[in-house]
Amino acid sequence: MRFLLLCLAALLASCSHPGSEKVLTIAVNAGVEGSALKAAAHEWGELRTTRIEVVELPYANLFEKESLDLQSRSGAYDVIMMDDPWFPKLVADGGLTPLAHEPDADFLASTLAVCSNAGKYYALPYVGNSQLFFYRKDLFDKYNLGAPDRWEKILNDAKTIGAGEKMFGYVMRAAPGNSAVTDFMPLLWAFGGDIFDAQGRPNLASPEAIEALRFMVELGKYSPPGYAGFNAAEVSAQLLQGTAVMSINWPAWIAAMDDPSKSKVTGKIEFAPMPAARLPGVAELGAWLLAIPAGSAHRDAASDFIAWATEPAQMTQAAVRGNPPTRRSVFQSPDLVKKFRAFPAQLAALEAARPRPRTTQWNEIENAFGVSLSQANSGAATPEAAMQQANREIAAILARSK
Amino acid sequence: MTRRIPPGLIWVAPALFVLAALSIYPLLYLIKVSLTDSHGITLANYARLFQDRLFSVAAGQTLLYAAFALAFEFFLGLGLALLIDSLVHGRALIRVGLLAPMLLPPVVAAVIWRLIYNPEFGVLNGMLRQLGINTANLTWTSGRSSAMLSVILVDVWEWTPFLFLLLTAGLQAIPAEPLEAARVDGAGYWQTLRDVILPLLKPVILLALLLRSMDLLRIFDQIFLLTQGGPGSATETVSLYIYRTAFRFSNFGYAAAMSFVGLVITMLAARGLMRLMRV
Amino acid sequence: MTRTSTHSLTVAAPGILWSRDRQGSGWANNRMKTLAKYAAALAALAFALAPIYWLITISIKREIDQFASPPLWFSFTPTLVHYTAIFTHEAFGRYFLNSIVVSTCSTLIALTLGLPAAYGLARFPWPHDWSRSISFWILSNRMLPPIVTIIPLFLMLRQVHLLNSLVGLILVDVALNLPFVVWMMRGFVEELPREIEEAAMLDGESRVGVLLRFVLPLVRPGLAATAVFCLIVAWNEFLFALILSQTESAMTLPVGIAAHVTQYEIQWGAMSAAGVVAMLPVLIFAAAAQRYFVRGLSLGALKG
Repeated sequence: MRFLLLCLAALLASCSHPGSEKVLTIAVNAGVEGSALKAAAHEWGELRTTRIEVVELPYANLFEKESLDLQSRSGAYDVIMMDDPWFPKLVADGGLTPLAHEPDADFLASTLAVCSNAGKYYALPYVGNSQLFFYRKDLFDKYNLGAPDRWEKILNDAKTIGAGEKMFGYVMRAAPGNSAVTDFMPLLWAFGGDIFDAQGRPNLASPEAIEALRFMVELGKYSPPGYAGFNAAEVSAQLLQGTAVMSINWPAWIAAMDDPSKSKVTGKIEFAPMPAARLPGVAELGAWLLAIPAGSAHRDAASDFIAWATEPAQMTQAAVRGNPPTRRSVFQSPDLVKKFRAFPAQLAALEAARPRPRTTQWNEIENAFGVSLSQANSGAATPEAAMQQANREIAAILARSK
Repeated sequence: MTRRIPPGLIWVAPALFVLAALSIYPLLYLIKVSLTDSHGITLANYARLFQDRLFSVAAGQTLLYAAFALAFEFFLGLGLALLIDSLVHGRALIRVGLLAPMLLPPVVAAVIWRLIYNPEFGVLNGMLRQLGINTANLTWTSGRSSAMLSVILVDVWEWTPFLFLLLTAGLQAIPAEPLEAARVDGAGYWQTLRDVILPLLKPVILLALLLRSMDLLRIFDQIFLLTQGGPGSATETVSLYIYRTAFRFSNFGYAAAMSFVGLVITMLAARGLMRLMRV
Repeated sequence: MTRTSTHSLTVAAPGILWSRDRQGSGWANNRMKTLAKYAAALAALAFALAPIYWLITISIKREIDQFASPPLWFSFTPTLVHYTAIFTHEAFGRYFLNSIVVSTCSTLIALTLGLPAAYGLARFPWPHDWSRSISFWILSNRMLPPIVTIIPLFLMLRQVHLLNSLVGLILVDVALNLPFVVWMMRGFVEELPREIEEAAMLDGESRVGVLLRFVLPLVRPGLAATAVFCLIVAWNEFLFALILSQTESAMTLPVGIAAHVTQYEIQWGAMSAAGVVAMLPVLIFAAAAQRYFVRGLSLGALKG
């Protein structure tokens, strides 16, 4: 009986009415980007004597929760962090609050481009992520190979070094969904293909696209078995453990590569821009944005927070904590450049980065596309068949939304 | 003849009310949602279901998963129950040990097997390599043909204890008389098993099969964390597909239609099994 | 070996089945056979426990050792850094508390609603076959895949402001466990001889009194077994907790553990530490209640 009462008391304590005290609830991605924002949020909370509640969620789950919250206007979150491809979906139906002020020009144009809808800005870019090519410079020097700047050369280098060192020449992730699509886009673009053509029709059945997928499967032969199910963590583990020579990766991993407690290859990895094939290499943009749901009960405080967090001084702090910035001044700050040897490469990549197609159906498209890519890489389908299938499904998705 | 309210009703009423509120009402709401889309009341969602290749793949795979997992779990569970019951010492301790996998949150079990299955760094391939076996093609959950089996293995590891438990309880409840009679008649081990024990265990067996198959048909947690339905769609199941349709694509109408159809099939299957139990 | 007699059911003493205590029977007491049996049992035990052991080692290994190839079973330097991390940097204590509250409250409520329902179904006269039909209907609720009710429940709970709250999750878990409770307890109650209750009622005892004072003590083993199952189900429940919680104040352990599987870094150390801590209460509790499992189930399972 006493225990029951205890439970009841705990229950009542836990459902204290929100809104009575000033609380800012922030949804962040569980990972490096999230941790920098978390730290920033707690500092801001102390400055403004506001309680901060941070909700950390893994990638897919973060989208689901934010999407549900915005659609049902449940007001659970005051500030949300989003991956840029989610923006079109989340901003639809008035889900986000427009920004009070226009962002200044210090923000990189490529990162701001994904924050606007119909001429108005609804988010501020916080994490300036664009892909880099990670490779073992020490091994490339050993075999007298020049920098990996072309995909065909990379295939040969992978063969050479892989055989010579008994390592996997290449590693990539092809788990269905975000993993496969994210790693495939740079290849697709370099070979001259794209998901949609100029008229917005699905264009994956083009010869360039099929060739790109064929190339990916070929590269897969030099990747660890099972890569068709790899996610980002497995890819990085291969690099960190010194069992793979190179891969596409994100700046968030740079810190880990040089961290002796996590890496067996400290100081040996170099970061280069995306390789070219038929067309010059283009990195994919993966910026994380901060926005305010329309259903939030604390919009003013939220607005204040995101403006503060994206100030140059704060962004510098975040950079020191491992967060890639989105301001030119921060990238070019002499102290930071000294600390982070890859900053110039990151800045160049970010300025030229291309975002994924802007559509409210992105999640469904990414899912269908990802399944096909994963099937091609696991051998369940030929590249042609996989691309045809992806094309058909994307067309169906678009048709359904009419 | 006056219609009297059954006196037991008032005892059952609160439970019925809770279930009605949290099961019946949501079910009706589900049906409503499944009949609407952005244009109004329509059967479009159900029509789409019949043409959806991925749905039939997912449904087939769910049945495959359930059938194999159930078969393995049942025979292993029965074998273990008979084996452990025949030991003299340490029964209780061994039982507790064998029950452990069932007690883990499925979420934890899934993640731990993900680590075990990692082709490069996982302990499974690591051990096989130490035994000299070439693991180049053993990719477990990332392999097109091995993914389903790998996922089933996790379920078998985790839930055989459940069947073991139920069947052990059943064995313990077997009355002494028929066994004595069999012994007196000079019946051998296998004969006693076949003619006396199994028939007496039948109600427990059917109960175990019913409970387990209900859970298997709606499998979600492990696959969600192990493979997300991949590679490709090799381990796609109905629950996973519904979840993604509802929460990632925000297509609630279609998800509802799928849920309803899945539910009807499950209930028919369960009804069939329960009828067997009456016999 | 003694024969234990419970009410009208004679339970075979373990061992009679396999005649452990008989000599020279031909089909039991063979030395080699016993050895083989123990070997098989130990092999099964190893298969069951090795992955759990691995989980524990991951939770105390440094990150660089976790992915070492060949795998390190014993030779690594242990570290408690992951455990400190989850308790200081994560809201892990909160998840733990939430799980305890949700599991115990939902189990208690399910038992409080379920036992009377079971008694009502078992002891009262019902027209036609209503008792059976209602029982079937109640059990059929357990067949409802959570995915089916999740969207309506989300919206319903939002309406009554119970979204993202422990109360909402408790209600949902009660609905999850209630069918099992009713089903099991009905079996146990039907087991009991009616004479005791009838005698009590002749003495002027009310039905409620009969339930509380005479039936309840007798079905205690079954109740305990059922309670333990309910606790475990609620403790491990994932999907509802995942969707119905939006902030950490309402998240339970499984959700917290899954949240460690991130896009960029699967934090194996933290997640395994969380897993170990999540597992311990259940294991300890189950070990303590172990004897109730088997005895309780054996009484109820036959009449299911």
